[in-house]
Parts: sequence; C-alpha cells; structure tokens
Amino acid sequence: MWKAILSPDFFGTILRATTPILFATLASCVASKSGITNMALEGILLFSALFGVIFSSITHSWLLGLIITVVIGGLIGLILAFFVLNLKTDEILAAIAINLTATGGTVLLLLAFSGDRGVSSSIRSVSAPSLTIPLIDKIPFIGQVLSGQNILTWLSLVAVIVMHLFLYKTPLGLSIRAVGENKNAAESVGISSRRIQYIALVISGCLAAFGGFFLSGGYMNMFTKDMSSGRGFIALAAASMGGNTPIGGLLVSLLFGLASALANVMQLMSVMPYEIILMVPYLTTLIGLGVYYYAQKKKKERLSGK
Amino acid sequence: MKKKVLAIALSAAMALSLGVVSLPVMAEDGPYKAALLLNGTLGDKSFFDSANAGLTALKEELGEDVFDFKVEQMGATSADEAKWEPTLYDYCDDGSYDVIIVGTWQMLDALTKASQDYPDQKFIYFDEAFDYSAGGENVYNVMYKQNEVSYLVGAAAAMMTTCADLEKVNPDDHVIGFLGGMENSVIKDFLTGYISGAQAVDPEIQIALAYVGNFYDSAAGKDLALTQYNNGADVGYNVAGSAGLGQIEAAGDADKYAFGVDSDQAALLPDYAANIPTSALKNVGNSLIRAIKLDMEGGLGYGALEYLGLAEEGVELVEDAHYEEMLPQEIRDKVEELKQQIISGEVVVPTFLGENAISQEDLDAMLDATKVQ
Repeated sequence: MWKAILSPDFFGTILRATTPILFATLASCVASKSGITNMALEGILLFSALFGVIFSSITHSWLLGLIITVVIGGLIGLILAFFVLNLKTDEILAAIAINLTATGGTVLLLLAFSGDRGVSSSIRSVSAPSLTIPLIDKIPFIGQVLSGQNILTWLSLVAVIVMHLFLYKTPLGLSIRAVGENKNAAESVGISSRRIQYIALVISGCLAAFGGFFLSGGYMNMFTKDMSSGRGFIALAAASMGGNTPIGGLLVSLLFGLASALANVMQLMSVMPYEIILMVPYLTTLIGLGVYYYAQKKKKERLSGK
Repeated sequence: MKKKVLAIALSAAMALSLGVVSLPVMAEDGPYKAALLLNGTLGDKSFFDSANAGLTALKEELGEDVFDFKVEQMGATSADEAKWEPTLYDYCDDGSYDVIIVGTWQMLDALTKASQDYPDQKFIYFDEAFDYSAGGENVYNVMYKQNEVSYLVGAAAAMMTTCADLEKVNPDDHVIGFLGGMENSVIKDFLTGYISGAQAVDPEIQIALAYVGNFYDSAAGKDLALTQYNNGADVGYNVAGSAGLGQIEAAGDADKYAFGVDSDQAALLPDYAANIPTSALKNVGNSLIRAIKLDMEGGLGYGALEYLGLAEEGVELVEDAHYEEMLPQEIRDKVEELKQQIISGEVVVPTFLGENAISQEDLDAMLDATKVQ
C-alpha cells in the first residue's frame, strides 16, 4: 500500500482530482462573499464540460475553446443574477432550475451536435495540454509530481492567488465583501449592491467554467453524460468549510483530493467494503468541517472571555 | 322532461361507445406483429439499438407479410417515466399485436401490472428477472449469461498480462483490473465469470477490483483505473456504464489494455481502438429473433425465465478483424477452445444469478484468493 501511496502518480491523482473542485470552490467563494449562494455551480460545470468539447472542436484550439466556454459560463452566471436580482426569484430555486436544465440540456445539445446521446467520442475536441517544466522535470520524484500536470491544474493554483489578491487588495474586492457583509451599510456609502452582486456572479460563473472545461478537456478527453457528478455541490461545501476564502478553499479542496486518491488506493488493496471506502472523501471533509468549527467556537469563547 | 330524455340518450350513447371500444380487436390473419416499447430512445449504441436491429433483420429475412413490428421510443428522462405505463397500456388496449416487447428493470412494475390486467396479451421481457410469484403466464422472460462472456474476457485478460509478445504489457506480474459501476447482482455475475475465466488459465492471477459508486462519473472511473494500471494491472475490464469510459481513457493514457462492454467500444471510440482488444456484448437482437421464431411455431416458453448464453448467441465476444489484429493467435485459439467447451457444456461457468447462483461467501472467497499482493 505504501508503495502505491509514495508514488508520483498518487500525487498526480490528488492534483487532478482537486482541480475541478478548486475552480468551483473559488467560484463559490466569490459568490458567497457577495452574499449570494451560487448553487448553480453543478449545472455550470456540466454545461462547460460540454461547451469545452464543442467549441474546442469548432475552433481547433483548446485556448479559443476555453475562452468561449468561460464567456458562456459568465453568461450563465449573468442569467442567474438576472433571475435573482431583477426578477427576485429565490436563489436556490433559480439554481436548481439551471442544474436541471444542464442535465437534460447537455444531452439535447450533444445529440443535436453529434448525433450521440451519452458520449462525445465522435467530436474531435482539443484538450488542454500538460505542462512540462524545464529543469524541474529533471528532479527525481518532485519533478515527476510537478511536471506533466495539466496546464489548467497550474491555472487553478494561480487562480487561488489571483482571487485572494482580488478579494482582499482591490477596491472591487472590498465592495464585494462589503455587500456580502451588510448590504445596507454598503448602499449607504454609495455602493450599488445589485451591480456588485451581478459582477460577483459573473466572475463565479467564469471560474466554474474553467473547472467544467477541465473535466472534459484535461481530466477526461471527452464529454460523458452527467460527468460533473456532484462536484459543484462538493465545492459549495468546500468553500463554506474554508470560510469562503480562496486560501481556505484551496486547503479543503486539497484535503478532498487527497482523500479521493487515498480511497482509490484503498480500493486497489480492498482493505474494506467499497461502500465504506467511497465515503472516505466525504467523511474526511465532514470530520474536517467539524474540527474546524469546533476550533472556531473555542476561539470565539476564548476571545469573549468565557 | 326534456332534460331526462337527453340524459338517457347521452347515457345510452356512452354505454354504446364504451361497448364498442372495449370489444377486443382480434389479431387478423395478417403478419405476426410485434411492438417494441423502449423506455429510452434509439441511438444508445447498446441494448435498444441491438433490439431494433434484431427485429429489422427478422423483418428483412421473413418479409413484411410474415413479420412486422413497430418501435415506440418513450424516452428515458424522469419526465418521460410517467408515460411508460400508459403507453404500455395503450398498446395492450390496441390488441392487434401478437407480442409486446419491453426490457430493463425500470419497466418491471408497469409490466407486472399490465400482464395481470391483460392476461391474453403476450409479452417478451428482457434483461431483468420477472417475478412469476403473482402470475405472469403470458410473459416470456429472457436474461443473458454475462458470466459466460466475461469468462472468456477474464481468460483473455489473464493470458494477455503475462504475454511477452504484447507491447503494452509488463509480463512479470499477474495483475488484471476490473472496474464496476455499483455492486449489484448483475455486476457481480460479470465479476464471477471474469475471475473464473482468469483463474482457469492462470491460477496465480490477481484481480485489482474497484467500484466507481455510480454509472456516470467517468473522471472518477479514470482515476480508479489509472491507480490499477500504475500498480501492475496491464489489462482491465469495465462494467460501469459511461463511468467505464474513464477506464478506456486511462488505458490510453497509461498505454495499457481495456476490454469493452455492452457495445463494440473499439468501433465506438476509434481514438482508443488500439487499447481495446474486443468487447463483450449482450445480444438482445439475437435473443428477440430467436424468441419470435419460436413463438411463431408455438414453442416459446411463456411463463418462465430463460437464460441465454454463448450457445444461444445471447452473449458474444466481438471477433472481428480488429480482434484478430490485437491478439496473438495462441490467445485467440485458447479463447475459442474455452468458448466451445462452454457451448458443449464441458465447462460450466459459475454464476451469481438464478437457481445455481454461488453465494456471496463463495464470491468473497474467490476475491480473497485473487487479492492483489
């Protein structure tokens, strides 16, 4: 078992499993910071996985495909914002509508585009390439872990830093946090909360679209029906567990990725019934959540002098 | 008074019309007519296409005057589910069909009711066991011996993983992989056959077993399969619906082999054809042709369940030019030999389904004996 865990492949698996969840987690962070729960992440992931395949095949370029996919992801965020902010729809109901549309809509679009119902194998899509880093790839072990990862995996790590700087070091980031903290207070100093929440949801949609693109153009090299498989919901939990901060989200996503990779190895060694092993990633996350909030509670109690 | 007359007239009209409608329309001396009701759509490249292709071939063979059929695509989404049962009843009401064909576990409830309400209507039901405890004398039930075809896959996989002639194989270890969707009795039947076949040709064989937990998370399936390939497995077998496609991609990335299932996946995924030696199929089409021909002669066993295996061509391994190109002669010869032994009854493949099913303890013992070291 240790041989399997201490292999570079194991760490590669962690990073691969983390990437889509990390993008979606960041997407959830920015929406939550503005005061809206973006539960449509699951649907945006699924739509983006399909659009990534379709547009990278039309443009013969993964980069153009990615850009178009991200724009569409932003548009879905915009639609959600329109329903929630202009039409005053319940944000959860609007998100459920988007998620259900994604389940059926992706199959419909796939059928219209390729004539297939389950797999996009007949579409010649272009996946995002892996990045070989010169010099580093010569280092034993570490080189094998770091080099050869998908470019989007790197981008997800860069996105963590960018989102951290954006939320905490820019005026717009400050406005987003202010609106999320207290809408009326923000309005009183002249911030349009509606404009800010629109912006936050569009950014959220764009970030989730990166994750969706990675699912079918990096993780896998094709779209398969329902391939988002609840990652959008896991990301919601991961973001909330990470206190809706990009760094916290990264740590929780990595924890989930680690637990997933560990579960894979545990299945290989068949140490216990697979139903229990399949719970490992979720159980780990749940226990982590419990520990975190217990620590938070203790900290609060200490500060209030109880 | 006027109203009363009108009411009586209307009631009479209603009674009359009811009587007319409820009169059963008897099948005329036309062709044998079948209705194929799909709780999904054509284009699945699997069961439903196979069923349609079988009936189409039969119609071409016998001619329209002798056999005719109609396909009704009811759709597979949760929104479509509501119309499966009414559609089945519509066809029963029609009464002009000699047989109505439905399949999969999702139609079991609707069929159970319809078969009781229309005892004179004949049904063919495929790929799930019908519960005969409450009647069902008018239902012919066909299931497939996936264990037999998996036996051949297991044997081929076990021979491949130690074969020095194959470029994508490290012949030193004896590990082969199996990726299941969820642990249910049909998947376990696949597994039982697979392990038995592998053990038959190589007693030292080890099985890396993993379940995705669903039938759609292809990315998770890919990671699970990559873990198997990176830890010694050279050949895999996916029985996990679209999650199984992850294993085929993993085989492509790790430059290993994966056997296909349910449809000819080498043809379906040309990019990965070099990693897919062949696929194991349930031949729904063949089983329907067989059943209808028997029914025309009056010899179809209604009221009972029948398992079709390699002998009845209910299951098969795709043996085309691609298969011949992928696998060396001696492996194919051995597979053919095993197949003939199964057909002749010389070899009886253990199964997890039906009366002769092995117990969970037996399967656990088999898994224990083949555990990855």
